[in-house]
Amino acid sequence: MNAREGTAERASRFWTNIGAVAYKEASVIRHDKALLATVFAQPVMMLLLFGLALSNKPADVPWLVLDRSRTGASRALLQEIEHTGYFLRPRPVAGYGEGVALLKSGRALAFVVVPSSFRRDLESGQPQIQLLLDGADPLSAARIGAYIAQVAGAFNLRPLPSTNPDAQTVTRGPIDIRQQFWFNPTLADNRFFLVGLAGMLLTNLCLAATSLGLVAEREGGTYEQMLASPTTPLQLLLGKLLPYVGLNYAVMLMATLAAAVFFGIWPRGSWITLLIITFPFVLASLSIGVLVSTLARTSAQAVFITVFFILPSFVLSGSMLPYQFMPEGIREIGAAFPLRWYQIALRAITERGAGLTDISVPFLALAVIFVVTISLARLRMNPRLD
Amino acid sequence: MSTAIIRAVGLTKRFGDFTAVDDLTIEVEAGTIFAFLGANGSGKSTTIRMLIGLLQPTGGSIEVDGIDVIHHARRVRDHIGYMGQKVSLYQGLSLRENVEFYAGLHGLEGQALTSRWSELSERFELRQAETEKAEDLPAGIRQRAGLALSTLHQPRVLFLDEPTAGVDIRNRGLFWELIQEEADSEVTVFVTTHFLEEVDYCDHVAFIDAGRLIADASPAELRQRYSEGYQVDLEAGPDDSAIIEPLAARTEQIDGGVRAWFPSLTPEVLGRLEVLSRERGVRASITQAPMTHVFRQLLMQAREAS
Amino acid sequence: MKWRRLRTLMRREALATFRSPFTVSVLISVPLAALLIFGFVLSTEVKGLALGVFDADNSSASRRLVAELVAKETFIEKRYDTRGDLQLALVAGEISVGLVIPPGFDRDASGRGNTSPPQIQILYDGAEAPLAGNAEGFIRSLIARNVEVHRAPGADNSASRPISVVTRALFNPTLDGKPFMVAGTFGFVLSFLTVLLTAVSIVNEKITGTFEQLQVTPASGLEILLGKILPLGAIFTLDVVLMVLVAGFVLDVWPAGSAIFFVAVSAFYVQVSLALGVIISATSATAAEAVQKSVMFSIPLVQLSGFLFPIRNMPTLVQWIAEIFPATHYIRVTRAIYMRGDGPVALAPELGLLILFGVSLMVFALTRIEARA
Repeated sequence: MNAREGTAERASRFWTNIGAVAYKEASVIRHDKALLATVFAQPVMMLLLFGLALSNKPADVPWLVLDRSRTGASRALLQEIEHTGYFLRPRPVAGYGEGVALLKSGRALAFVVVPSSFRRDLESGQPQIQLLLDGADPLSAARIGAYIAQVAGAFNLRPLPSTNPDAQTVTRGPIDIRQQFWFNPTLADNRFFLVGLAGMLLTNLCLAATSLGLVAEREGGTYEQMLASPTTPLQLLLGKLLPYVGLNYAVMLMATLAAAVFFGIWPRGSWITLLIITFPFVLASLSIGVLVSTLARTSAQAVFITVFFILPSFVLSGSMLPYQFMPEGIREIGAAFPLRWYQIALRAITERGAGLTDISVPFLALAVIFVVTISLARLRMNPRLD
Repeated sequence: MSTAIIRAVGLTKRFGDFTAVDDLTIEVEAGTIFAFLGANGSGKSTTIRMLIGLLQPTGGSIEVDGIDVIHHARRVRDHIGYMGQKVSLYQGLSLRENVEFYAGLHGLEGQALTSRWSELSERFELRQAETEKAEDLPAGIRQRAGLALSTLHQPRVLFLDEPTAGVDIRNRGLFWELIQEEADSEVTVFVTTHFLEEVDYCDHVAFIDAGRLIADASPAELRQRYSEGYQVDLEAGPDDSAIIEPLAARTEQIDGGVRAWFPSLTPEVLGRLEVLSRERGVRASITQAPMTHVFRQLLMQAREAS
Repeated sequence: MKWRRLRTLMRREALATFRSPFTVSVLISVPLAALLIFGFVLSTEVKGLALGVFDADNSSASRRLVAELVAKETFIEKRYDTRGDLQLALVAGEISVGLVIPPGFDRDASGRGNTSPPQIQILYDGAEAPLAGNAEGFIRSLIARNVEVHRAPGADNSASRPISVVTRALFNPTLDGKPFMVAGTFGFVLSFLTVLLTAVSIVNEKITGTFEQLQVTPASGLEILLGKILPLGAIFTLDVVLMVLVAGFVLDVWPAGSAIFFVAVSAFYVQVSLALGVIISATSATAAEAVQKSVMFSIPLVQLSGFLFPIRNMPTLVQWIAEIFPATHYIRVTRAIYMRGDGPVALAPELGLLILFGVSLMVFALTRIEARA
């Protein structure tokens, strides 16, 4: 740069240089068929997966019944359990041993034993049933246990003459009550995934796109060319990021609209707020990709690192499972991922209709992540070839 | 009864609508160096790939060292050595380790390998580089290593695909010396190249253009057919030059003497030149028509004909 | 097939892999990181959920109630002076669930006065549905039986619960999510990493020309295939052993069944997955493309294989698709060995399927290698 240039000129040079790099990058994108396929095919795939296929809500649960009571009361209880819709028709077993054996072989998930004294117990106010669960799938087991407990809890044969002060189900036994934490039976969780879907897709896109950037240039030899040009490393980095911002907005709108149109998840808050919070998130995610590309020496390495960043990011951010449930250390680690803050904001805006002030914390967090990451990337970028 | 060690008849390869190789017929005599020339995209690499069994032809037949390559590709592998365009050394392994690997695949191990490699590495000047990692080898050494690897198991036929690409002139010369040494020990060498000057190292040349064979002769024949042959500049007066002028295709006066063109340097021509030099003290300089010239003519005529 | 040639091929593959520092670090760090992340992420030791409290009663009874809730550190208490403040905090996401203790709680709890049971109100935000519902459930369970709990607003009051359920879980009495996740992590890591590594490795060979060179040597297609996947398979099996040990010593998760049987099954599954990597490499021109294809293939694999989400909960068509992935069966087998302690006899059908898949994939991979256009 000319030493006699004034600050104003240098500032405008800054932006024109970035613009030039960005334009070149955009042309490359247009011809990158693999990237475009990822951009369009992945959202569709994820939408199908999260919207239709994946769920924590049990379905078609196979269960066993040993009804020693064989009264109208016991039959009514079992029917009510079946009528929740989560269970298949119960399979009756002849004895306790048979039930346990079937449970052990994994052929059923739950085994309900109604004692012969059930009707009498009901009338005297101390009814009890026994429930055995297949703990090999603890997530499902806890849910199923909770469902059955709830049905049992709500079961009333007839109005009881006195006010029964017993107010809730007591579960006794080795199951620590906290394990029942996982599952609330009444809530549709594909909604939970779908609200965060845009964030997952964008994370994927940003990282896949930019992590290859610098490495591909180095491999292709155009890196030397760029170093010889009057652009500074920072301008180079920013110029590489910017074209992807547009692409990201396109994907984000696509995902949000799809979730809305196909699954009825219309944001309660304003779309403008959504667009605004997307900006620092995209910048932060893209800059992580750029940082990766400064670390990797071959393009295969770059994609490797990216891939193994993305999945923990999905899990720890709280897009697939609530982050509040994670143990303390792990919860904090998740806060380093941009996706955590973005999905917090997404849920706030979509479900609670949050406004700009409400998402100020995520906004700031994302801005900080962006600045820190891009600085790290800049530090790693060697202005010379070695 | 031909002694051809490579025989391809009516070789054709189509990729969809595109015909890469069109009805190619060539024969290569044992112990000769056969150059296979053509521009990029002319079908050179496709042909060599078919000859070594890497690609299935759409039509035609191929026989190498008596083996039907199309139907019994595996059998031919011990009879041939191959050096591809990218010299295929495994990165992360040293040159020596690469040698041991490829040798092992051919069943060459232990003492047999040691003595064979000792001889090869000496001849190919690879001793110093043995312990270097493959990716650290400079181009000239890498090419020689590739050649050494291809001939490690002492095959009867070597297929070399553009072996000197990216190599500087000095190393190229060295390289061709090595190839000629192989030919001297009765190894047949089938080489593709687009360096036209290298043709003069070879016994026979085939030229392919757009999938079709347009020339198949020795370099001398080609010179004769497609150029004025040899240019001889004589520092001689009219009496001296009269001795040789009748044999020339044409002559022209130049500063200090005469320039004469001869389609080929027959024994008679050479004899008279010798007389001129020994008895008359006439200085002569001989230049042969550059192959680029020859091929330009060749191409022009071929394209006019089609 | 000549053993000598195969040995030569395997030796080279092993050498090249161990000499690449990046590959070695990926082979070690990824499985360990995955184990630790997934092992800990579904923890049963949930702590530090923010509980907002608006105590209008401010009596010893109400204070005792809150103290009980906070005692096990599951909740962190945050006090608010008005109900409005509490609600705002809920909306702002400062708290996960709100608790309103109405005035008169103490009186009702002690049973004096009228006979209506004491009441508290739980506020939650439908936006954080799984979170809130579960916090509510937890509170319900913890609160002494004489308290009536109301859900706000508008939900029905399911107050009387006369039937008590005595529950016992087999194999996993505390319903600890760790063994479940650890077992699944094997499937995830082995499926992902193997496919990626082979695909990239073969594509790189094609690009540098060594693959072509290999095809011109006397090595047969089968030798080339085995020369590639056997050494890589051995390396991954070492990885499996490493993971079993780390899961055991760090996470305290050991297989209920035979560890040797498990490693053997895993070794076979690794081969299957590697063959898949070979197939993917056949359709890719650059290493980056191979990785992208592997990833695209692996994402549904991870989601549908039962690793994170139960297959039974998926629509029937999707369940059928899930059964096509070898990973699904491997994860099932892993969980059976780790949690149920099943042996070869019990798992025979699943193993048979895996073998079938494995053989078919390898045959197909062989055709890709021998393909001669």
